[in-house]
Amino acid sequence: MSVKNKNGLGQSKMKKRISNSALPWLLPLLSVLVFVFLFPVVEIVRLSFTNATLNGGEYSYTLDSYISLFTNPGFMQMLIVTGIFVFFSITFQMLFGFLVALIIDQGEKWNLKGTVLTRTAVLTAWAIPGVIIGVIWQMLYNETDAGIINYLLSIVGIGPVPFLSDPTTALIAVTFANVWRGTAFSMILIYAGLKTLPSDVIEAAKIDGANAIQRGMKVILPMLTPMLLINLVIISIDTFNTFDMVMALTGGGPGQSTEVISLSIYNSIFNQFNLGQGAATSVVLLTINVAMTIVYILFLGRGEKNAA
Amino acid sequence: MQRRMNKQTVLKFSLYISYFFVGILFLFPLLWVLSLSFKTSKELYNVPPTLLPDNLQFENYKHVIENNNILAYLGNSVQVVALTVILTLIIVLPAAFALSRFKFKLKGLLLLGIILTQMISAVVISIPLYRLFAELGLLNNFAILIIVYVAVVLPFSTWFLKGYFDTIPIELDEAATVDGCNKFQILTRVLLPSSMPGIVSVTLLVAVQSWSQFVIPFILLDMQSLYPVSVGIVNLQSTQQAVTTHYLAAGSVLSILPVIVLFVLLQRFIVGALTTGAVKG
Repeated sequence: MSVKNKNGLGQSKMKKRISNSALPWLLPLLSVLVFVFLFPVVEIVRLSFTNATLNGGEYSYTLDSYISLFTNPGFMQMLIVTGIFVFFSITFQMLFGFLVALIIDQGEKWNLKGTVLTRTAVLTAWAIPGVIIGVIWQMLYNETDAGIINYLLSIVGIGPVPFLSDPTTALIAVTFANVWRGTAFSMILIYAGLKTLPSDVIEAAKIDGANAIQRGMKVILPMLTPMLLINLVIISIDTFNTFDMVMALTGGGPGQSTEVISLSIYNSIFNQFNLGQGAATSVVLLTINVAMTIVYILFLGRGEKNAA
Repeated sequence: MQRRMNKQTVLKFSLYISYFFVGILFLFPLLWVLSLSFKTSKELYNVPPTLLPDNLQFENYKHVIENNNILAYLGNSVQVVALTVILTLIIVLPAAFALSRFKFKLKGLLLLGIILTQMISAVVISIPLYRLFAELGLLNNFAILIIVYVAVVLPFSTWFLKGYFDTIPIELDEAATVDGCNKFQILTRVLLPSSMPGIVSVTLLVAVQSWSQFVIPFILLDMQSLYPVSVGIVNLQSTQQAVTTHYLAAGSVLSILPVIVLFVLLQRFIVGALTTGAVKG
């Protein structure tokens, strides 16, 4: 940032400097962000130290929300459910995303037909609202004999599977639907990354006698690493914040077996009217969000350095 | 040589096979819902389930349109999305211009702050806003709702357009300054015309994301007549039973039809938008 040094400004230059200020251009953006992000974040942190309820009325400052949160076995259980959901979602989203990106990229190099169609099919899942994805998968997971997935599984001798009524399978079912939903995003980022790889480096490796697997592991993967890390952080944050799809698919049930952290916040506040506890859980989620953002910024900085 | 050709043929063949399976995996759920939406209530219970309906029951669509306000929900969504796109551009164009062309203290910090807001959960921000709006009597207020929608898409739109403006040579600005243009004219006459693809991309990304928006209207609206289609469908889902799955399917098809049409028509722009956004981080 090489700010033009203008110490000892004259009157006219001073005027010019004000007219050159970036502030007026940024003011609408800043006001909206302060109103919709900064104010609520400060407010939720404040509320987390109270015993307020949603219905309003008097409240006092206390640490009770945090104490009851961390001594409540349900809270640990909820964090474990969230952790499992996030871990398996992001692992398989990246894995499938990578595979689909590779086969589409390779197909384009060979001018195969069907690459655009395949890409569109995958990306459609990205364009559909999360709640609708939840509604659609609820229909697919229909547990009666008329359910389509159970029917298809019965052909190969599996099932019937109690997709949404058994706690363990429900969590797997929700995670699977989320992988279906999120694969497109990882696919498109990795696909973009593959397009930016310098083909001469890969050619050189080929000439040096590296086979396809060696080229993949030793040449392509290291070049993609910064992009993969950024992808990983973005989808982790998105998955931690997931609300809509799970809400429509299971509502957190059966019991609390699929109640991920966003749903838990919503339920504490809008079903149990326990604002203090919901706010404390929100602070836990915010801490995760901020920690991941710091990781993201670090990766971003490193990626830019690598590119330079 | 012959062996090499064979190996490549095998590889190509397996790529085609994998396209087929990937395509089925991603399209089948949608086609199944489409099929359900045309079935009769009785067909829903066919064992084994039939892939295609015996007759196309357009009555299902008529039913949800007449009884479940689907068209009103769709209208609300169109309205909210259109206004969100317009307001977002009005705010983001000058901001991206300033972030790309001005030099000022704390710019780096500001850019990082904008990323941070992008990462904050929508559920978390909606709760204090709900309390505030309830107190001020602003729940069910479309204008306020749109401001929150805009805020959610501002961070990535700002980064995206700032990145796009960065690729336009500053020499163009300098030439325009020599010709007597002020900053505002540089933005409108130099940067805007050369950034059209970027602006179209942002518009599409904002439109798709706002169409999908659920948490914010779910929490900030309690008047059914104002629901966008995402909340409307969940509302429909909660009042449905197994016997009426065909209606829910019809409602779902109607609610994703606009995005799918937009998406298929403008696929190139969207892929371009997602990939350039990705490369620039």
